[in-house]
Amino acid sequence: MINKKLALDIINLSLETGADYSEIFYEDSHSQSIMVENGKVNGSTSSSLCGVGLRLLKGNRSVYGYTNDLSKNGLTKLAKNLSASFDGERILTVEKFEEIKVKNRNPIVDSYDNHNLEERIALIKEGLDEIASMNDPRLVRVQGAMTTNHRFVTVYNSKGKWFKRDTEFGRMFYIVVAANQNGIETAFEGPGAQQDISYFKNKVNIRKIARKSAETALLMLDAKECPSGKMDVVIGNGWGGVLFHESCGHPLEASAVSRNLSPFAGKVGELVASPVVSAYDDSTIPGAWGSIDIDDEGNPGEKRLLIKDGILQNYMIDDFNGRRMNREGNGACRRQNYRYCPTSRMSNTYIANGKSTPEEIIKATKLGLYAVSFKGGSVNPATGEFNFGCSEAYIIRDGKICEPVKGATLIGKGHEILKDIDMVGNDLALGEGMCGAASGSIRTCVGQPTLRIRNITVGGRGGELR
Amino acid sequence: MKYDYFFKLAKEKGIEECELKIYETYSLSFSLFHSEMDDYQVNDGYSIIARGLINGKFGSASCDVWNKDKAEFLVSEIVKNASVIEDDDPMFIYKGDAKYKKINTYNKELMDIPANKKIEKLYELEKLIKEGEKITEVAGVSYSETRTTSTLLNSHGLKLSQKNNYFFIMGEAVAKEGDQVKTGYDFLFSNDFNQVNPKELADKIIEETTSQLGGEPCASGDYQVVLDNSCVASLLGAYLSSVDAEEVQKHTSLFEGKLNTKIASNKLTIEDRPLQKTLFGRGFDDEGVATYNKPIIKNGVLMTYLYNLTTAAKDGVKSTGNGFGGAKIGTSPVFVYMKPGKKSLEELFQEVNNGVYITDIQGLHAGLDPQTGNFSLQSTGFLIKDGKKDRPLDIITVSGNLMKLFNDIKTIGNDSKTFISAVSCPSIVIKKLSIGGK
Repeated sequence: MINKKLALDIINLSLETGADYSEIFYEDSHSQSIMVENGKVNGSTSSSLCGVGLRLLKGNRSVYGYTNDLSKNGLTKLAKNLSASFDGERILTVEKFEEIKVKNRNPIVDSYDNHNLEERIALIKEGLDEIASMNDPRLVRVQGAMTTNHRFVTVYNSKGKWFKRDTEFGRMFYIVVAANQNGIETAFEGPGAQQDISYFKNKVNIRKIARKSAETALLMLDAKECPSGKMDVVIGNGWGGVLFHESCGHPLEASAVSRNLSPFAGKVGELVASPVVSAYDDSTIPGAWGSIDIDDEGNPGEKRLLIKDGILQNYMIDDFNGRRMNREGNGACRRQNYRYCPTSRMSNTYIANGKSTPEEIIKATKLGLYAVSFKGGSVNPATGEFNFGCSEAYIIRDGKICEPVKGATLIGKGHEILKDIDMVGNDLALGEGMCGAASGSIRTCVGQPTLRIRNITVGGRGGELR
Repeated sequence: MKYDYFFKLAKEKGIEECELKIYETYSLSFSLFHSEMDDYQVNDGYSIIARGLINGKFGSASCDVWNKDKAEFLVSEIVKNASVIEDDDPMFIYKGDAKYKKINTYNKELMDIPANKKIEKLYELEKLIKEGEKITEVAGVSYSETRTTSTLLNSHGLKLSQKNNYFFIMGEAVAKEGDQVKTGYDFLFSNDFNQVNPKELADKIIEETTSQLGGEPCASGDYQVVLDNSCVASLLGAYLSSVDAEEVQKHTSLFEGKLNTKIASNKLTIEDRPLQKTLFGRGFDDEGVATYNKPIIKNGVLMTYLYNLTTAAKDGVKSTGNGFGGAKIGTSPVFVYMKPGKKSLEELFQEVNNGVYITDIQGLHAGLDPQTGNFSLQSTGFLIKDGKKDRPLDIITVSGNLMKLFNDIKTIGNDSKTFISAVSCPSIVIKKLSIGGK
């Protein structure tokens, strides 16, 4: 822990050479991972992370450093090192810190810390028992895991503010490998929440989730290779939203927008998507995997309306990148841990409900692909080019879901396909994932209702779609 | 000694054998945007991973601050974590080898060059890229350097240490023509700063960025393909994940049951060369086993799997010195060397005559399944027409299967390049690959 007196000394020392902002980020977190494979616990590890990151800003310049030496000497050395990169006169002195208090939407009631490893193992095994009960010899390798984290953060900044955050989050994984004479398929489910252990004990159906991972692996085992070419694609709700996250979410982050490296830069108020599309980035959903009550710059989490009826409204903005845009941060400044300099990031990002039912969307599609879920993907924010691999997909013929297909990849340009969405369903759901970018790997939710994109490029090994 | 208390306490608490891996890192990085230094970072990092054995079960824990409390934390967590392990895999704290080769992976000179000299080169690089025709924006130029000291200590008295450093300099540019926007980047890494030539690097970045303008998809179909060395490096990474003995033992490797059989074109020879003097060189692995150079695939024949102590014991063989990882030790090659052929890139185009030249593949983590080897990846490249590189191709996918691809190698080029993923390889000609376009 860093006390206020020391924090004040370090902040003022760091401002000596003319920085206009300084911020101390102190983190003390503990995590625990347990892995179970083929019924037996085969790994258990604990990790403690403790350090300080110091960030100085001067105009459009940012300087960052971290240390594990939390003594007065260690922090003084860090402050001197960093401030040496500016050569001006002091313009700012901080007299005292006032606490910023925000609503705690993600309280810890039944902390993981109060539950032993055996209890967590029992939760993991609940799902594994469900898979074992399927008694299918094609399920050759079944892994279950749980990772939990208790993270304590204190931030002091030269605006004379300080705040603390005390959060817990946990995620479970089921990874199933199925094999037969046709080959090998892997499927994965990974539910998580920014909640204490009560989430897994009372709120999710572990058995159902575990079974789903095994069923997907088995289904895809006998699937044919996906055809390639341009086709209409219906994208499933929940994890299907990763497409929006990658292809539109990242280019809406201030780190890209402020440098004019985004197709959405300077387009607020313009039609950037089909009028059936509205989208949000919402940090305020209680207990959701990507929620934050307060960001790393002390701005409260917000529900940001990004796109309304196709018209661009807002971006994810941190104070530093906001400087180039003449905008204040809107609570989107995040980082993985003290080893990363923070920047604008997403939280829970989703396309809002539309008017169609999922059944209507399928029924309206004569020939195309139904991409239920994805393994992940990537995007180049400057060009908008993206790619996604489908983990579960089917061919749609005459308005009906037909045979499953594997190996499907969707590619295109995010800002272009946004305009090609012509039907949006009313079955919004969120899915949990990890998002990697400049400030490290952070927790985010993706989400959307079932929706249809016209004429998108699909890659696959199955020849032409007939 | 700084860590004695840990070993003493571990013994008292019933930990029979244990080890500490200590990483001390220093890093410096900065980047420019519009001729202004927008990011500067300097970090002193420290992390420590402890593993211990009780009744044949392993427990592990890690932290990043060292004091008496943390030593006690590591010991108590090891005891707690080991107590729940049910798996029967044999686990070891290694007694050590008779000899270890020293590889010089540290260049003191790099650390002595003042930061402003390094910054100067970066300004020069940015200026040169900006001058490029059709370049509308320099998305960023950056420099980073890292020094790492890794130390392994264990209760058998083994003490090994290795120090390395390197820098990485890169630039990324944006080019526009009409509605089309393209980005391109290139980089250099080394621990010899004299190798930095801003003009040469800027020229490559400009060429990389602008050459893709005007691209559109080609017709879908099967093509003879030249795969650029960077694509070969990416695919090799995925291909060689199958050489991990753990994947083989768990029946998820493409190479199961294929030892000493032909799995690829006889033109393909791949070696693991930890002892070659590269930035990646290692004299010992993360379990303390001495490393050695070895062929993995020789003239298309699979010569060995890669082992750590646990997987080796299960197969009744010796570890190949490829045990790498933190709390959980997996396996990986240290430095992958693919033997080059004789033809230049231009000669490969001539040989193909009409086909496709793939220069970039994206999204391997989602579009490639290492267990079946099937892939379908977003790509960029060029048409090859009448033996020469022709117009650029935009929004195409390349699909195939890794086993088939490395079997279908027609010719191997001589343009080997070393990548930051610790792979050295040339460009290759593939007999047939499926391209998705219009």
